[in-house]
Amino acid sequence: MANSLQPGVGGATDSRSSKPDTESEFLTQVGAGAVLRGALLKLLEIRSEDPIGFLAEHFQNLAQSLENGDSGCAVEGGNKKQHQQALQEFEEQKQHSRALWHLTQAHHSQRSAFNNNVAVAFSLLSRDDRKRKPGLKGRVYTELLRRVCRDRGVAEPVSAPLIKKLRCQDHEAVPFDLFRHGVLACFVFADFVRKSRSLFETVSQSDRSLCRAVLGSLRDALETTGCSHPARYLEASAKLTPGRLAQAMDRAQTLASGTPSTLMSQEEFIEEASALIISRVKLVS
Amino acid sequence: MCDNIVACTVKTPVALQIGDVKTDTARPGVFVIDVTFPHSVNLQEISFKNYYTAFVMVRLQKVDPESPESAAQWVTCLRNRCLMPSPHTEEGSQDYFSIYRQQMLMEPDNVTSIRLILRQPSSVWLNFFLEDIKITECGTENSEKNIPSWFSNLTPEEQPMNLQAGLPDPEKVSSSIQQMWALTEVMQTNQTSARVGRFDVDGCYDINLLSYT
Repeated sequence: MANSLQPGVGGATDSRSSKPDTESEFLTQVGAGAVLRGALLKLLEIRSEDPIGFLAEHFQNLAQSLENGDSGCAVEGGNKKQHQQALQEFEEQKQHSRALWHLTQAHHSQRSAFNNNVAVAFSLLSRDDRKRKPGLKGRVYTELLRRVCRDRGVAEPVSAPLIKKLRCQDHEAVPFDLFRHGVLACFVFADFVRKSRSLFETVSQSDRSLCRAVLGSLRDALETTGCSHPARYLEASAKLTPGRLAQAMDRAQTLASGTPSTLMSQEEFIEEASALIISRVKLVS
Repeated sequence: MCDNIVACTVKTPVALQIGDVKTDTARPGVFVIDVTFPHSVNLQEISFKNYYTAFVMVRLQKVDPESPESAAQWVTCLRNRCLMPSPHTEEGSQDYFSIYRQQMLMEPDNVTSIRLILRQPSSVWLNFFLEDIKITECGTENSEKNIPSWFSNLTPEEQPMNLQAGLPDPEKVSSSIQQMWALTEVMQTNQTSARVGRFDVDGCYDINLLSYT
């Protein structure tokens, strides 16, 4: 009886292994479980406001990277040098765009998610298909910083002093810490410029001395040297209460009431504000 | 919080007894301990360790600050405080006690000396007294610690300010400036020690400069 049952059972398992009929086996074979899990984990990390859009972009990027992986090996026989160079540049541009996309996924205040994205972008940019010299080149790094500033609405003349402090020479190899520092600095600076633009909207109709007084209170708060770290924050915040700022503005307006009023332009305001933050960035050495 | 323990002189307990102390065989049931201060104090707390005392009464000698020539007066500030619920048994016999200012009948200010009257009605115990008497003084209103001037600005009073018309909204300005300040602080704390490995000094590769570094 036992013997007669066994061949029957063996036959049934044979037919199951050749064609995956059950749904779980099909998914495991295809590898969809792992892909979806990765996508959901990324979504949880980012917590973006447009989850469907984010998932669409994520899968698009994944498809592109798989495509590149397949086509990277198959290079055309080198009879057209310019074609190869153009292809290489195009690949580089695509890589830069993908790295940039990774960097914009999390706001810099979400520190752990942002750090993860920076690591992914760094490994993406350091990878070299030709395997000549792995590592991030200074040229790529500087170009990326410029693009970050440009894409977030900071004009070239405004971001120029910052880039000058953060840039690396074309031939230099950029370590990961420096890359993260530079990228974070650019994102923070872009936010700062946006905030100063909105501040200018509020004070735009006022006299130049009033604008200067407002920026002066910011400088004063930044230069607070106090006892210990937490006390410094309290002291600086005490200097920036609405009451104190109202008094400062009132004083500036009273002083300026005698002289003819001049207005400050937006560029000038943003330039002066940016000087405050850029002075606190250390020069790369 | 005031934790200032005042230096005081604790005199030896004096037994109150009818008859001659030396010849009488009966043991005394009342002891008096006097504690004197070099200057008048405002009491915060009297703490001590009990040793088989059943009841304690506290009397204070106060000096009137306005008229220092007048005689010091004795007032009772604590009447018959029970230290041992049952004088024959051990309960509370070796406990630590504290008498606070709030528990006293009179305000213990300008006190020059304290009289602790100890009673033990039970004959079970050979000796009884109070050990380790500590007097804590009230702290002064103005603390020695210097409070920075900006402390008072943290919660500003709601004064109607006489501001001129046409000023931008201080709330909006303040919130923008505070966010800008926070971003600058982030920039400042985001320092890295990673170096690219340049050898120039101020952007110059002059050989003389390089030899000095």
